[in-house]
Amino acid sequence: MSDFEETLYDSVAQKFRIDKLYFEDKTEHQHLMIFHNAALGRVMTLDGVVQTTEADEFVYHEMMAHVPLLAHERAEQVLIIGGGDGGMLREVIKHPVTHVTQVEIDLSVVEMAKQYLPNHSAGAFDDPRLNLVIDDGMAFVQNTDQQFDVVIVDSTDPLGPGEVKRCLNPGGIVVTQNGVAFFQPDEVTQTYARLRPHFNDVSFYTAAIPTYYGGLMTFGWATDNTELRRQSSATIATRFERLGIDTRFYTPDVHVGAFALPRYIQDCFDRD
Amino acid sequence: MTETDQNSVRVVLPVAQAADADRYRQLVQRFGSPLLVYDPQTLRTQYARLRNALPNVGLYYAVKALPEADVIRQIAALDGGFDIASAGETQLLLQEDVFGRRTIHTHPIKKDSEIRDALRYGATTFVVDNIGELEKFKPYRARVGILLRVSFRSSSAIVDFSRKFGCDFDEAPLLLEHAATIGVHIKGLSFHVGSQCHDAAEHVHAIQRCASLMRTRNATDQPPMSVLDIGGGFPADYARRGTDIDAFCAPIRSALGELPDDWRIIAEPGRYLVAPAVKCITTVVGVSDRNGIRWYYLDDGVYGSFSGQIYDHASYPLQTLRDGPTARSVLAGPTCDSIDIVAEDIELPELTAGDLIIGHEMGAYTAATKTRFNLLPDARFLNLEALPDS
Repeated sequence: MSDFEETLYDSVAQKFRIDKLYFEDKTEHQHLMIFHNAALGRVMTLDGVVQTTEADEFVYHEMMAHVPLLAHERAEQVLIIGGGDGGMLREVIKHPVTHVTQVEIDLSVVEMAKQYLPNHSAGAFDDPRLNLVIDDGMAFVQNTDQQFDVVIVDSTDPLGPGEVKRCLNPGGIVVTQNGVAFFQPDEVTQTYARLRPHFNDVSFYTAAIPTYYGGLMTFGWATDNTELRRQSSATIATRFERLGIDTRFYTPDVHVGAFALPRYIQDCFDRD
Repeated sequence: MTETDQNSVRVVLPVAQAADADRYRQLVQRFGSPLLVYDPQTLRTQYARLRNALPNVGLYYAVKALPEADVIRQIAALDGGFDIASAGETQLLLQEDVFGRRTIHTHPIKKDSEIRDALRYGATTFVVDNIGELEKFKPYRARVGILLRVSFRSSSAIVDFSRKFGCDFDEAPLLLEHAATIGVHIKGLSFHVGSQCHDAAEHVHAIQRCASLMRTRNATDQPPMSVLDIGGGFPADYARRGTDIDAFCAPIRSALGELPDDWRIIAEPGRYLVAPAVKCITTVVGVSDRNGIRWYYLDDGVYGSFSGQIYDHASYPLQTLRDGPTARSVLAGPTCDSIDIVAEDIELPELTAGDLIIGHEMGAYTAATKTRFNLLPDARFLNLEALPDS
């Protein structure tokens, strides 16, 4: 088998050895692969771009789930948009939430991930608090009557910020995945411009995910409660310890520090 | 001799050797007629010849010349790259497990959806030749490497590409400037002097002018350009004069030798690689005498495998399997249209229904441009190294 060479950028690329190809789906609309790599375990790629790997998915999922859920303190209703591999759900249900709605556009993604990336969901799809909805994320937030405390957008398609706001409880938090700002600064600029009119507090936090080439990945942060991202490490630590969960990346100090943005990322949305 | 003379010369080859004739007949017996018979060995030979004639030049096979899976597989096995121009060609490469990294997208005019499809497939090199097209890449500027296509008219090319595509050479600095303003990186220049060139003088001229522009640009504080795409134009030997590709490329080699070592030179050969690798076998279906001229009606014609005679201005060498005194003859295609004439005023021995006519050098822009006219069946494409059971 050949190597997988990522095709995000013309002038630089990361390359992965394919040690064993588990799954491949080639259609006119997408090219999906799941293969094994000695250093990274199972790797899922879509259209020439790495989506997730067993070795480093913990960084992404822990940071996208625990940061908003511990910042919120009393999150009970959670909405996950996308996240078909189940990794996000796995982290979310470690919290004492009462209900999780996950909206995935394609059931086959969930089925495929259960089969070929079983460690991502690790049984999370069986959690009784879960309501798995097969629908377009945008259509769901437009039509739902449900209200959520935390909305996690684990999808590359942006949702209408007004619609998301509509299904958010007062003081709720929306987090989005926003790409690697070093190579894709426009995404930060655009996300900020989209969210800012609808929320009192819009910013970003970061984590470096090794196989998302280019350094820090940014996560969008939007809420009306301007205090939530300014809580002390001690406050977060109290909640975290009460929760008693094991993490590999997330710590209360990392949580607080993640909101400190390098100048080049700040410059993407705060040019004054 | 003018360019038109040179290529409209219709070569009728000496009668086929007995062993070859037997093989053609056997193929028709097994697989029917008409056939397009592809010999991968010939493709490998052509590839090796061009490889030797242009060492250190990245070869990107122009898929449009013959978009066949067997050909794609062979080029991929030879470590070649691919020049693609449409979503359909992308799909063909994907089926053959060719990753986008090995391709360049060379169509100068694209819909936004085509750019996104190509990016999803993994092609990140694109060609533009005007401001509007440059603007289309603004949203993708972090991801792509753009080649600016400039035009040079070839005096020896049969098919002149400079009219439809390519920015005027004098306009190029303006476009480079504009690209820099909107943050789109132009990594190099590309040109096409045309197809089926008589000699490489136009290539050399274009290389020198492009190099001069790139050097000038690289002396500024803009990011350096480092890619030069010298296009195609490497000729097939339709006139059977014995094209020597090494001699043809010698002036190109020498011009490229003057360029900085850290530039990447690429080319987009199509015709030279595949034309001789395919022969067309067609059968005489009917015979009639009209005004003292013998008309033979074939089961393939200019709406089918011989479409390149219309679109590509090619005249393929023809061959019969039968010897004998010749007479002035016409070879007509199978459709109802009077334009469907494969060859006129050629000297052929007397043929009867069932006799075979072999078209040589028929790999490039032949089946690729066939039509559905009259809903006649397509010539069957056969790979000599992987013949099916029936």
